[in-house]
Amino acid sequence: MADTPEAIRKSVRTYMFVGAVLFVGTIVTVLVATVPAFDVGEHGFDKWDCILGLTIATIKASLVAFIFMHLNHEKKAVYWLFGSGLCMVCSLAGLTALAMYSPIFDKYFFSGH
Amino acid sequence: MEIPYVVTPRKDTGLFNSKIAIWLFLASEVMLFGGFFSAYVFLRLGADFPWPERTLPVLPGLINTFVLIGSSVTVVFAWASLKLRDWRKFQIFMGITVACAAIFMVLKGVEYNVKLHHQAVRLKDYTVIEGHLGKETENGKPVLNHHGKEIEENLILVNAKKFTFNTVRFYKPWIEELLTQANHHNAKITLSSDVVAVVREGQPAELVAKAGVPLSIELLTKLQKTHLAARSHNGEYRTQALRQEWVNAHTANPDKQDWQIAADVNIDMKALAPKLLDEISSVSFDVVPPSKFDFQPRDIKEADGQSRLRDDTVVDGELLDSPMVFHAVDAIDFQHLAMKAVEKGMDPIVAIDNSWLVKNNVFAKEAWEWNKVQVAKIEKRLLDDYGTDAKTGKPNREPTLKERYRIGWKDFVAKSDGVDRDKETIKLKEEFFGPDYHGREEKATFEGFAVPREQVGFAAKFTPAWNTYYALYFTITGLHGLHVVGGALVLAYYLFFGRQMYLTNPEWLANRVEVGGLFWHFVDLVWIFVFPILYLM
Amino acid sequence: MSSHSTSITEHNDHDDSHHDDHHHELGFIQKWIFSTDHKIIGLQYGITALSFLAFGFYLMMVMRWSIAYPHQPLPEWMSWVFTDGWKARWLQDGKVTGETYNMFGAMHGTIMVFLGIVPLGFGAFGNYVTPLQIGAPDMAFPRLNMASYWIYLLGGLVMCSSFFFEAGAAKSGWTNYSPLAGFADGQVVNQWLAGQTQWLVGLVLLITSSLLGSVNFITTIINLRVRGMTWMRMPFFVWSMLVTGFLLLLAFPPLEAAGIMQLMDRVAHSSFFMPSGLFTKSEGLADLSGGGSPLLFQHLFWFLGHPEVYVLLLPAFACVSEIIPANTRKPLWGYKSMVYSVLVLGFLSFVVWAHHMYMTGMGAAVSTFFQTTTVLISVPSVVIITSMLISLWGGSIRFTPPMIWACAFIPMFGIGGLTGLPLAFNLADLHLHDTYYVIGHFHYVVAPGILFGFFAGILHWYPKITGRFMSKTLNHLHFWPTLICMNLIFFPMLVQGMAGFHRRWYNGGDAYLSKAADSVNVFGNTVAQHIDLNILMSSGAWLMAFFQIFFIINLFTSWKFGKKVTSDNPWDATTLEWATPTPPGHGNFTKEPITYRGPYEYSRPDCDADFLPQWTEPKRSHTLDTAVVSQEAASSKA
Repeated sequence: MADTPEAIRKSVRTYMFVGAVLFVGTIVTVLVATVPAFDVGEHGFDKWDCILGLTIATIKASLVAFIFMHLNHEKKAVYWLFGSGLCMVCSLAGLTALAMYSPIFDKYFFSGH
Repeated sequence: MEIPYVVTPRKDTGLFNSKIAIWLFLASEVMLFGGFFSAYVFLRLGADFPWPERTLPVLPGLINTFVLIGSSVTVVFAWASLKLRDWRKFQIFMGITVACAAIFMVLKGVEYNVKLHHQAVRLKDYTVIEGHLGKETENGKPVLNHHGKEIEENLILVNAKKFTFNTVRFYKPWIEELLTQANHHNAKITLSSDVVAVVREGQPAELVAKAGVPLSIELLTKLQKTHLAARSHNGEYRTQALRQEWVNAHTANPDKQDWQIAADVNIDMKALAPKLLDEISSVSFDVVPPSKFDFQPRDIKEADGQSRLRDDTVVDGELLDSPMVFHAVDAIDFQHLAMKAVEKGMDPIVAIDNSWLVKNNVFAKEAWEWNKVQVAKIEKRLLDDYGTDAKTGKPNREPTLKERYRIGWKDFVAKSDGVDRDKETIKLKEEFFGPDYHGREEKATFEGFAVPREQVGFAAKFTPAWNTYYALYFTITGLHGLHVVGGALVLAYYLFFGRQMYLTNPEWLANRVEVGGLFWHFVDLVWIFVFPILYLM
Repeated sequence: MSSHSTSITEHNDHDDSHHDDHHHELGFIQKWIFSTDHKIIGLQYGITALSFLAFGFYLMMVMRWSIAYPHQPLPEWMSWVFTDGWKARWLQDGKVTGETYNMFGAMHGTIMVFLGIVPLGFGAFGNYVTPLQIGAPDMAFPRLNMASYWIYLLGGLVMCSSFFFEAGAAKSGWTNYSPLAGFADGQVVNQWLAGQTQWLVGLVLLITSSLLGSVNFITTIINLRVRGMTWMRMPFFVWSMLVTGFLLLLAFPPLEAAGIMQLMDRVAHSSFFMPSGLFTKSEGLADLSGGGSPLLFQHLFWFLGHPEVYVLLLPAFACVSEIIPANTRKPLWGYKSMVYSVLVLGFLSFVVWAHHMYMTGMGAAVSTFFQTTTVLISVPSVVIITSMLISLWGGSIRFTPPMIWACAFIPMFGIGGLTGLPLAFNLADLHLHDTYYVIGHFHYVVAPGILFGFFAGILHWYPKITGRFMSKTLNHLHFWPTLICMNLIFFPMLVQGMAGFHRRWYNGGDAYLSKAADSVNVFGNTVAQHIDLNILMSSGAWLMAFFQIFFIINLFTSWKFGKKVTSDNPWDATTLEWATPTPPGHGNFTKEPITYRGPYEYSRPDCDADFLPQWTEPKRSHTLDTAVVSQEAASSKA
């Protein structure tokens, strides 16, 4: 638990470190997107840029959630409560996107735009 | 009565009440933003227009990301200081957090402001022109509307002879605007003919308003009242009459169903007529002398001879030439045209060569030809760097659609400086405030460029109306902005009014700051996703 | 309020006072209007919701006139409500017009679902009963509770006030599908004065309210359970409310997102739900960018829409599951399996939504997925309803007023649920979609199903709220005609639906009829065969309205003149709400109750009385009881 003064003093350094990682992550994402030399995959935006960008974003978001929001040492109940939201949002985003995989949308989906 | 577990955690769950509540609230927020992100995925995958990739200036978004991450760090420090019972440090860190929120919102406001003044138009052949509109002037002076604001040169002009208002639906601010414009042209709007109507049951018709009376909201309101009273009166009588008709019909045809006799059951209007009042559903006014009136394109369905406003006002008069006039054009975009051409099985290059803009505007033609050369250079560079596929013989990497078909502000500058595209860099200020024309007027050769109204397919500012990308951009960032403001208000409350609680029950305040901080981190967390998907993809 | 109990709890307050919000004598306004007491808020919810239900019912009666007698003017006994000006605007020679019918239809659905049933079930019953049943002094956040009521009321009033606008209230169906909903009222220059816009504003407010409510409920149930109230000792009512809370919490926000997007479409002219090249008769080619997707709205709407069905249903399950054991003097059969079922039900309800969208051409694979999950979700509902049915078996049933409603609930909901199965199947749905069959199906679930559960609940907890019973005679006068009328109204709908009657015909199919007997209009002949049912159903609806008067009389007169209760536990029930004084004061319990056992300990062989309340201290000396206590300890560990 980070509730004792000792533990809090210790974790302040972690917070600094995580903050720095977040800054670096942001810079990497921007470099990949804007500087041609760092471009991944095809020339210009493509699925690899998308995957890389979202992966870095997910890592950053996880750092915020686990370190800043203390999910790394939180009670089990919180995982259930917040997890329920995450679970349902996957259902919403996943299934609506899946509904696009139908003949009437194929033209757009596979056209590469 | 005391609610338990406000400050101390419950033993078996290990949580105090507000911590459970905030996590539940965040789960719900995940669903809210999840709904928007799902919409983003759905709309982007299903878009039937070229999605504007990497279209926003990155710098303001990047700075905002740093600001939010920074504030996330400071808010956790603020909480830690409270836990260590260091009020001074808490104040400092919380102050920085709130200041970060303010910086974030200011930058956001700058971004919005630039968009809201930036005009785009999609021509009928799907060529897109972006830029800034000129201001309506007369004798070198700006023309003002009835709010006293300058008017942009994107108006429908009608040489109006007569207005016919719907007495129920006329819209007061528009009447005021008409009066202002008439005043400007020294014209008068007066009642065309006497309004004579039966306004009392069984009495002869009386004069309600005399021909030649000037248009006023009071007059219209009076006519509206007369009309509505007559409508209610007549409705009551007609209902009674129809009821009686049905009673008679049922007696005459006892074994028929309603639908079999309905066509023959009608109100005897002749018998009813003496009881009825006259309804004044519309009223006409002449414009003397006929003058030029202007209308916002969205408010009018224009047609030569007779146009109609959205509030059902009919405008009689000749439709004048109503071009959309750009003060400066800062991008020509053929991506949509190219996409449409491919869908029809045409060569996009040929389609662009034959587009209205290239054929009718010398500068546009010049720019398009210059662009072809630039694309060839990019193609060559990519070929040199990455080579061709051994099997198909096609180049491994090709220019993007944007590079091929979009000529932006930077390109215009590069062209006039005689350098390759992307060699020219724009000023730092322009990253925030959009293109700066000062000192570059000679390069904005589109000055005074007019798009004839019949070429306009769809026009909008860079607002949610322009396309679904901007709709998502404004809605998601707007909602996120509201969260920033809300969170900052709560944190500021703890900062400025928390002292009392700190002295009496510091642990409770620490709990509250932790909960407020959790919300703040969540706002940051949402931005971590918003930034790449809206600015970088 | 019992002044006695209040004074005790307040005495405690003064010892550790940092709450300054209750003094000895609260004024009328603080006590009844701006109250933070969950019981008063529950009553506020209940009365408001019942009023909205009555209003929604009235809208339906007008619609039924238009369906049964489309050529005749609306009779005086219904039209007197309107002003002359309103009649002149919305009725044509006294007849209901198509536009008016659409408006009433949209608002009937909206009012019944969002302003009637949800606030009555979750807001009223949930608020009043849940904290009592878990032994809590109040909700975890009393002021948030008050805020959620006031936001709900504001949202409701905003929505209903639009009836007075020149353009009228929303008229694009309660589902508000775009692009129709995006265009409706488009002629109004100031969009904030259009009913279609106000509907969205009201919706956003209602969602905010239910969000606050659900956060409060779940927190209360998790953290404020009294000592000994383990998860598996919670009454099924509380479990239902917990799941309902989660459904509200997670299913509403996507609709809020959709509502905001549609609001943007209306006031900022965006094209979230507007496809390219949209052409309408009134507007011509739309002056919009296009590129949006009407299907997106349907996805977001039904992502809420289906869990919403269970938000409506679970509170009714909750009420009935309390009433059945109390009146059969027998434990609820299969309590544990019911609990697990309700949890599974809650989870599955998030992955079935697109069965409302089979007609949109989502594609075979997705349709099959949703068909499978939809059939799956019938399993937990059947487990619950079967458990209730089996609970009746071998019980010594007391047909008290709440019990007769609860008994009617089971078969009525059964019809509603089973008629849903054909709609779950892709192939059958293609025929039945948007017919009266669908209307019949979901009204069987909601009207004779859920509402019967709520009537039962009102009768059951009325003695706790007021200290008096509701009248048995008036209840019989209310119950039997209502039961008959309900079936008169809704069963013929199933028949008509099979014959292909479309659900949105404002004239009941009249337009399809042809006078010529030898007409080639085959569909017209089918319609002619079934069109008389319209008159039967409409008469049933108006007759039912008449018999609701007995309920209203009963509700208000019994408050003053009903038979007084003789104890705090008049039904001899076992759950904690009956341990409070009657009526319970602010702070609920005079002393903190301790829970010793499960919620439905009726007819235990080791007890003299046929019920053993949760709060009764076990007699330690008795050998049998010791065994029971150790058993309980074991079960609570599990």
